[in-house]
Amino acid sequence: MSKKMLVVVSVLVLAAMVLSSCAPKAVAPGGKTYKFCEVTDVGGIDDKSFNALGWAGMEAMKNKYSNVEVKYLESQQQSDYEVNINAFIAEKCDLIVSVGFLLADATMAAAKANPDVNFAIIDNNTDPTITNLRGNYSNIAEATFLAGYLSAGMSTTGKVGTYVGILFPATQAFMDGYAMGVAKYNEVHGTAVEVLGWDMAAQEGLATGNFESTDDGRKMAETLMDEGADIIMPVAGPVGIGSLAVMAERGSGLLIGVDQDWAVTQASSANFVLASALKKIDVFVVDSCEAVMNGTFKGGEDYALTLANGGVGLGISSTWESKIPADLKAEVEALIPQIIAGEIAVMPTR
Amino acid sequence: MATADLAKTTILSKPKNNVRRIVVGVLFLVVAVVIWLGFVRELPDGLINTYVMTPSASDSYFPNWVFPTEIALNIIAGICTIMGAYQLARGFGRFSNLMIGLAAGLLIFSFLSWASSGGSINLAGLLRVMVVRAVPLTLGALSGVLCERAGVVNIAIEGMMLMSAFVSTVFGSLTNIWGGLLAGILAGTLMGYIHAILSIKYKINQIISGTFINIFATGMTSFLSSRFIQKVGYQHLNEPGMFPVIQIPVLYKIPFIGPILFGHNMYVYAMFIFVALLTFLLYKTRWGLRLRSVGEHPRAADTLGINVIKTRYMAVLLGGAMAGFAGTYFTLGSVGRFDEMMTAGRGFIGLAAMIFGNWNPLGSMGAGMLFGFFDSLSTKLSILRVAVPYEFIGMAPYLATMIVLAGVVGKGQMPAADGTPYEKESL
Repeated sequence: MSKKMLVVVSVLVLAAMVLSSCAPKAVAPGGKTYKFCEVTDVGGIDDKSFNALGWAGMEAMKNKYSNVEVKYLESQQQSDYEVNINAFIAEKCDLIVSVGFLLADATMAAAKANPDVNFAIIDNNTDPTITNLRGNYSNIAEATFLAGYLSAGMSTTGKVGTYVGILFPATQAFMDGYAMGVAKYNEVHGTAVEVLGWDMAAQEGLATGNFESTDDGRKMAETLMDEGADIIMPVAGPVGIGSLAVMAERGSGLLIGVDQDWAVTQASSANFVLASALKKIDVFVVDSCEAVMNGTFKGGEDYALTLANGGVGLGISSTWESKIPADLKAEVEALIPQIIAGEIAVMPTR
Repeated sequence: MATADLAKTTILSKPKNNVRRIVVGVLFLVVAVVIWLGFVRELPDGLINTYVMTPSASDSYFPNWVFPTEIALNIIAGICTIMGAYQLARGFGRFSNLMIGLAAGLLIFSFLSWASSGGSINLAGLLRVMVVRAVPLTLGALSGVLCERAGVVNIAIEGMMLMSAFVSTVFGSLTNIWGGLLAGILAGTLMGYIHAILSIKYKINQIISGTFINIFATGMTSFLSSRFIQKVGYQHLNEPGMFPVIQIPVLYKIPFIGPILFGHNMYVYAMFIFVALLTFLLYKTRWGLRLRSVGEHPRAADTLGINVIKTRYMAVLLGGAMAGFAGTYFTLGSVGRFDEMMTAGRGFIGLAAMIFGNWNPLGSMGAGMLFGFFDSLSTKLSILRVAVPYEFIGMAPYLATMIVLAGVVGKGQMPAADGTPYEKESL
């Protein structure tokens, strides 16, 4: 009896689960089943970074539409890129999403060889001549502007700092936005918060010259903090972890993360992460998939991740969410529509 | 014949000394002119320099050093002029190298004062960062000293450090931080053992053997890191923790010097201890004499009954252990986790520090400190917004170290048998 009972119960539970997962979903146009496929780089599907964010976009599609199927292949090494892409071409995926600049060459080659297959590449630009490959770029300065404003408001020393790995237009945009945000705060509040490490007029700044040496991140943080900065935004990939280590060691200082949510990726030091300027790659993935379903997919051009479409944003860490003064938070939030409307410039005019 | 030779060399060396005297004298005058024309003339009136003498996050306090920029720079330029005049007239003789160092120091100080005039700069912080930056370089250089003094070239310091950094992270996460330290040292020793077998037993070219280890370590750690410890499911393997900062009780309270030298984690103290220990062992003990003789003239050492092969094995294993210890600095002493390629060429700079330091421990630390100083200085200059492109500022530590060491220290003396495998003559 009890055994039978158990079987019945489990069947009921199973049925409940199946039924609940069949909650009303939209049906994509075209009446067919769409297959969207992601090829990761060597970081793997759960890297808390672009691979994971891309997959989050995929899962969002699956949850939204009933006739969408999503798949991924993890690349274990460089030679897997081409193999995995070709496997998905053979499977007749409606859109193949590849992650990151590591896959750029393989993706471009595959797109050229298969002009009738749709491709999208995350965090990389496309080539205007490849009409079936869609790239993306982000207006990250819109997010670092908010970070700069917040930092200026939170700084107790009146100095905030930033440094870069290697200076090129994409990294300059981070620093420009940050410095503009601080300048905006100064303008509104009549303060004189300084940005150490970035000279907006000269477009020169503090640089490690690499994206690897975490020990350089330690040096940068120690030097910036010696000069009085109490909030630092490293634009140098993992090098910034070295700066976070200094803050955790000293028990003082705050970090602004970039690209990903550092309060999540660096969970053990999350108390020293004030906020992160986020690149929300999943927005690009969802947009590309829906474009394929609507028949509006266009390659050869880059999708812009902006504040307006939710592609970039400021992610305040949960530790600090409640500690930020309410009026400062309100000011930051009030900036968002103004930036979207173009009333506030987030980049210096040249 | 012998006396004639002697006379000839004395005659020849006399004008050479004069040329050097005059060149150095003119150099001092040039420094004075640079300070006057380059720095003093450009200064607006009445600027004041503030040098902060306490690093941030330090509970000791030492008052700031405040002085009027223009007057200070004029005095410095005056001193340089007097030095130049004295050098041209009489010459400093055997103190001239010291004086060149002094002039270089004054020039740098003037430059820094000029760049920060009207503002403030944290001098104590500058020197504190210098000490920290010197640690991996000096420890790496010590590894080189151990190997090369025994006649085995070790360009594999970088690879050994990288491997040790990885291993110490994984084992440190699995056990505790001391377990990680031990595992890192053992990993370095193992890499040293591979180097020893290849270059001593099989007499492979030592550069090739070292390059092999570098490439192997880079590939292996990058692979294991990206496949495992960077991934979410394995992140508990990348959290070894860090050695805490230990403030040495009485010494830390010394004004200015205390926080610079005595407020670090154990790696800084270990650097000083190892430098002293190795200096003593290499130059004051029988063990050291044997080790050095094997590097200078292995055949003579062999004739005297020293086991050359065994001594070289021991030296390379110890060198590997030292590089292993240096590698753990990056993970257990600097950031508390492993990231790909995190040693970023510091092993090679350590090797250069060893060469500039003339294959001896104290010299290596001096070169390491010098590099650390310019490294720290270049960061400060970037913050001060000196109008120099950052690529050049990034180059500055390397350039300045080369100029100072090549110009002041002069030619080094490499162990005579360095790099040559030892082959016993068969009877």
